[in-house]
Amino acid sequence: MNTTITDVAARDIIIERIMQRQRRARMTTALAYGFGLILVAWSIQVTVIDDTDWARMGSFGQVMETAGQFIGLDFALFADLLHPTIETLMIACLGTLLGVIMCVPAAWFGAMNITPFKPVTYPLARAMMTLSRSIHEIVWALFFVSAVGLGAMAGIFAIAVRSVGFIAKMSAEAIENIDHGPVDAIRATGANEFQVMLYAILPQILPQVLGVVIFEWEINIRRSAILGLVGAGGLGLVFFRQMNTFNFHGVMSVIVAILFLILIGEMISHWARKAVI
Amino acid sequence: MNVAMQTNPKLTWSRFKYPDSLIRYGAWLGLAVFLGYSVDYLNIPLDRIFGMFGRMGDTLANRYYPPDIDYIMDVEYFGYVVETLQMAYLGALFGLILTIPLGWFGSHNMTPSKIFVYPIARAITMSCRAVHEMIFAIIFVAILGYGMLPGVLALTFFCTGFAGKLFAEEIEAIDMGPVEAMRATGANLFQIMLFAVFPQVRVALTGIAIYTWDVAFRAATVVGFFGAGGMGWYLKRNVLQIETERVAAILVSIIVLVAISEVVSAWARNRVMKMK
Repeated sequence: MNTTITDVAARDIIIERIMQRQRRARMTTALAYGFGLILVAWSIQVTVIDDTDWARMGSFGQVMETAGQFIGLDFALFADLLHPTIETLMIACLGTLLGVIMCVPAAWFGAMNITPFKPVTYPLARAMMTLSRSIHEIVWALFFVSAVGLGAMAGIFAIAVRSVGFIAKMSAEAIENIDHGPVDAIRATGANEFQVMLYAILPQILPQVLGVVIFEWEINIRRSAILGLVGAGGLGLVFFRQMNTFNFHGVMSVIVAILFLILIGEMISHWARKAVI
Repeated sequence: MNVAMQTNPKLTWSRFKYPDSLIRYGAWLGLAVFLGYSVDYLNIPLDRIFGMFGRMGDTLANRYYPPDIDYIMDVEYFGYVVETLQMAYLGALFGLILTIPLGWFGSHNMTPSKIFVYPIARAITMSCRAVHEMIFAIIFVAILGYGMLPGVLALTFFCTGFAGKLFAEEIEAIDMGPVEAMRATGANLFQIMLFAVFPQVRVALTGIAIYTWDVAFRAATVVGFFGAGGMGWYLKRNVLQIETERVAAILVSIIVLVAISEVVSAWARNRVMKMK
């Protein structure tokens, strides 16, 4: 254990280097936080302070008074809410079902390992998924209302197209992660592509995909509750009407109905996902 | 296995667990009845479905097709895009700040009081999740007037609901060892949260935050539809003026922006997960 001067010098250099690295890391963190804070300040300045019509809003008390108008329920409305609530639920169910049917080709083309012709079908399917997920359901509903007319059908199509992306993406990922043993085994018996899919791939991904579908169905209930805002039927239409006639208690009644519907949906989906997995 | 083979010599392979059972056919029948009933209940004109696709194609080709790209290549429009980004950023930030106490109180292993605080936190998270961001936007516009503040608030509530559940689940999945150790030293609730829980969920929380921002941006593009500022307001204006080619251009810009944000968020999440 005879420490020479060069050892000590080397150790000092190493310590110095570690400290330097730490200092640099701390600087980076501080810079990142500073940048984030500036971004927040700038965003608040632009969006909240400059863009708000403070004079129209009035004092805090006045805002609270306006908000207070919403507190309370219009009990007379609940009888009329039954029909739209069932309608909303049905739009969600049918939309999810149609979405599942539409996602079969998308998932097939979008899974790297079974896509029929990689350079064309894979990017095509991926583009379809992104398209479906990036456009909001309101915009889809607007488009379908202009294409097929007012009513529940536009809502069903909007929900279906909107949910294709997520279901197809998750299914494609499930397909990409399958065990290839069964696929090879079924193919070795001389099965064609369709049979391979039916007997080797589908049984492996079914529980996962069903879980995703149930999850999406739950989300679709909350989506279908607002499609009526642009004329696609369901609770949204009642909401819009109550809002435009300034019946704020009626608005709250509609929200209670939506909450009730979603509570039921959440319970069913909780139970169904347990049954599937 | 052997005993089963002997007592059951006619074991045959079948694809389904319960083949030919009444339950299976009953389920299919129930589905068919439900389908028929709901088509009838919703008054869906079945005869129009077949002509619909042609009409949809016509609508797309004739009215939406050449997207008016010049319209969105504009400084004013770019300003709106930046505003949308800011709205999403602030909404996600405020939502995440609200999420931290809600996730803490709403996780059944860390909540300070299971009888009192837990159900309240759960109920708040659930109602934020249940009510669509559009409904929040409309109500806040009604209360606060047009502008971006109602948009930010609507996105805040939306993000609270979205991230609150994920965060609570993340806290419920932690290792309770450090918590017990901290508790044994006599640490109070905040200290346990700060030194035992937070280090375990830090990475997951960062991932959730990035994901929330991505989702918030997606919602922010249309929150303006009912008067809450950003690109949605632009979209609404052109929809009302039936400027379908401009609408198409705006939709193209939304798709491109969402695709970019998705790629960025996936990259950032991957990096964060690697740091674990």
